[in-house]
Amino acid sequence: MRKIWLVIKREYITRVRTKGFLIATVAFPVLFIGVLVFSALIATRQTNRSLKIAILDEPGYLGTLIARNLKDKLPGASSAIEVERIYDRPGAGQDLRRDLVEQVRRGALDGFLVIPKDIVEGKAVELHTNNAGDIRLTYSMGQAVTQAIIARRLAARGIEIGNLETLLREVDLRLVKVTKEGESEEKGQTLAIAIVVTMVLYMTLLIYGVATMRSILEEKTTRMVEILVSSVRPFQLMMGKIIGIAGVAMTQYLIWAISGSVLAAFATGLLTALQPGSSVPKVHLPLSLLAYVFVFLLVGYLLYASIFSAVGAMVSNEQDMQQAQAPVTVLIVVPVVLFGFIMRNPNSTLAIILSWIPFFAPILMPLRIALQMPPLWQIAVSIILLALCTLTVVYLSARIYRVGILMYGKRPSLVEIARWLRYT
Amino acid sequence: MAHPENTMYALSIDRVTKRYDSIVAVSQLSLVVRQGSVFGLLGPNGAGKTTTLRMVMKILIPDEGSVQVLGQPLSERTQDVIGYLPEERGLYPRMRVRDVLIFLSALKGLSQAEASRRSGEWLERLGLSPWSNMNVLDLSKGMQQKVQFIAAVLHRPQLLILDEPFSGLDPVNSLTIKDVMLELKNQGTTIILSTHRMDQVEMMCDSICLINKGRDILDGDLAEIKKSYGKNTLRIEYSGNDGFLEQPGVIERINRFGQLVEAKLFPGADPQAILKAAVERGARIRRFELVEPPLNDIFIEKVSETDA
Repeated sequence: MRKIWLVIKREYITRVRTKGFLIATVAFPVLFIGVLVFSALIATRQTNRSLKIAILDEPGYLGTLIARNLKDKLPGASSAIEVERIYDRPGAGQDLRRDLVEQVRRGALDGFLVIPKDIVEGKAVELHTNNAGDIRLTYSMGQAVTQAIIARRLAARGIEIGNLETLLREVDLRLVKVTKEGESEEKGQTLAIAIVVTMVLYMTLLIYGVATMRSILEEKTTRMVEILVSSVRPFQLMMGKIIGIAGVAMTQYLIWAISGSVLAAFATGLLTALQPGSSVPKVHLPLSLLAYVFVFLLVGYLLYASIFSAVGAMVSNEQDMQQAQAPVTVLIVVPVVLFGFIMRNPNSTLAIILSWIPFFAPILMPLRIALQMPPLWQIAVSIILLALCTLTVVYLSARIYRVGILMYGKRPSLVEIARWLRYT
Repeated sequence: MAHPENTMYALSIDRVTKRYDSIVAVSQLSLVVRQGSVFGLLGPNGAGKTTTLRMVMKILIPDEGSVQVLGQPLSERTQDVIGYLPEERGLYPRMRVRDVLIFLSALKGLSQAEASRRSGEWLERLGLSPWSNMNVLDLSKGMQQKVQFIAAVLHRPQLLILDEPFSGLDPVNSLTIKDVMLELKNQGTTIILSTHRMDQVEMMCDSICLINKGRDILDGDLAEIKKSYGKNTLRIEYSGNDGFLEQPGVIERINRFGQLVEAKLFPGADPQAILKAAVERGARIRRFELVEPPLNDIFIEKVSETDA
């Protein structure tokens, strides 16, 4: 026990001390938050300025109606879109258009709207703008034009409506998620949680599994391993490495979780201070989900880190390692590929069976739990099968490992590896 | 039940066999190493030396037979009283020299403080103090070799196994390591030396075991082995024409080193005939000595006998 602890400690300390760990741990969230803050800044800057547009009103009766329908306001109470000028029945002259295009190019205008004569019969409206990606502009303009046209069509049938907006107001669809614990309002957080859970599991299994493999190959290529196994049993060495790297992963997640919740609290406070009355949707992470994710992450990591350890021990160079790890990586990628299917049918027979297959279970079962809590017995079957498979894989990997670390040269065939398993 | 006389042996290997599939790496090998002696484990490449040493280190498990260290069956405890310098060796490249040494000796049961103190002393002694806080990969190959040697002796092993300890070392460093080995021997450490350098074996070893194809082909006290061959070899240092060596029925085999030859005589042949011929032909003789055969010759003879 003392020896395995020493191996764990060395693996952990040498890793946590590296620049790579520091960069990954600090730079990743800083970069992430930096992008968020930057895009928020850009967004707020844009909304400070009203967009200026012109309207070329061929029919001659829609321009003012549309202008009246543009009701979006900026925080400063000025209109989000200001109609600079309405050209009433300008005719087919190209000079005006050319002039407007020039104004848009210069930045004097943000765009101009061309309303054709046959608009009521369904002819398309044209919006000329230098920023076709501005969803706010296109959405508002589309709404305003549509409302104006509908009013016009109704009027043509003899229906006069004073306040069309009230009539056309869309129905709010409130999603309420029904769970065993009760009901909770859904604002997309289920999908968000499902994506985060899948990505965290996927990234951890892959990144830290590969780290274990590389570490083992390094001990082999530097010929450190023979000195080590003269003091430590190969199994202790392998498990020490797997546990040490798991510790590194947990440290990283802990740092992120703590700094993340501090920042989230800070950001919420900042948002409420800037925009009183606005509320941040509360993401409620059920404790049971966290517990399940942790269990599947732990056992899943042990499963994949063991396989990766065997791969690291059976090869002698980087190229062979790349080839030998490919099938293992595929096993981890499959659940991510299945994400869409599981999301739509979390309780289909196929989804249930897939989440029982031990190599997929570490990702698929937590995903199902995140989407819709499956019956407890299904989770139990998944955990039992995963645990049994992991124990078998750890046993086999340890046997491959103890032979592999002392073998150099070409990559062994499957037949040779099968023979290694029988070595005493 | 352990034999009471086993306690006087630092190592005893009893009819050990190790197979890999159809290949028998070690076959019914038995040997004993007296406490406090320097023992040479010799053999051509692929003879089974490394496999044998790995079994002593409990890295491999014998298929048959048993191994005892200081009268004890192999265990984690016996691993801790052995120091092992494998032939294929290396250290964590991105770890500091001192940290590697502390880690490796902690694995052998040393406390952090003691490991730190002793590694400081050893680094000082082998002239590596200025590098103790550098990463292993910043050291030259020779320096790394010395660090590996320190790693093998830091926990004061009772049995020290050195596989080619001098390979890659310059003459100055070789001398330092040799002196340390002798000092350890005088302190009572048993040393097993595995090497292809027969001159070193002749100078350092008390007894040897020569193995080929996994089998013991010659073992015992080195002086006695050599004595058993008798003084059957002529060592001649000369200048001039070497035609005098061609005397029918006198020299069975000859090994030339330029200025010096070692010639094995036929049993019962008279070396006087050679001396006479040399004088007649005008060769200048600086040394003419009848000696026991060099270990190198015994090695070659024995190995080719068993290969045939």
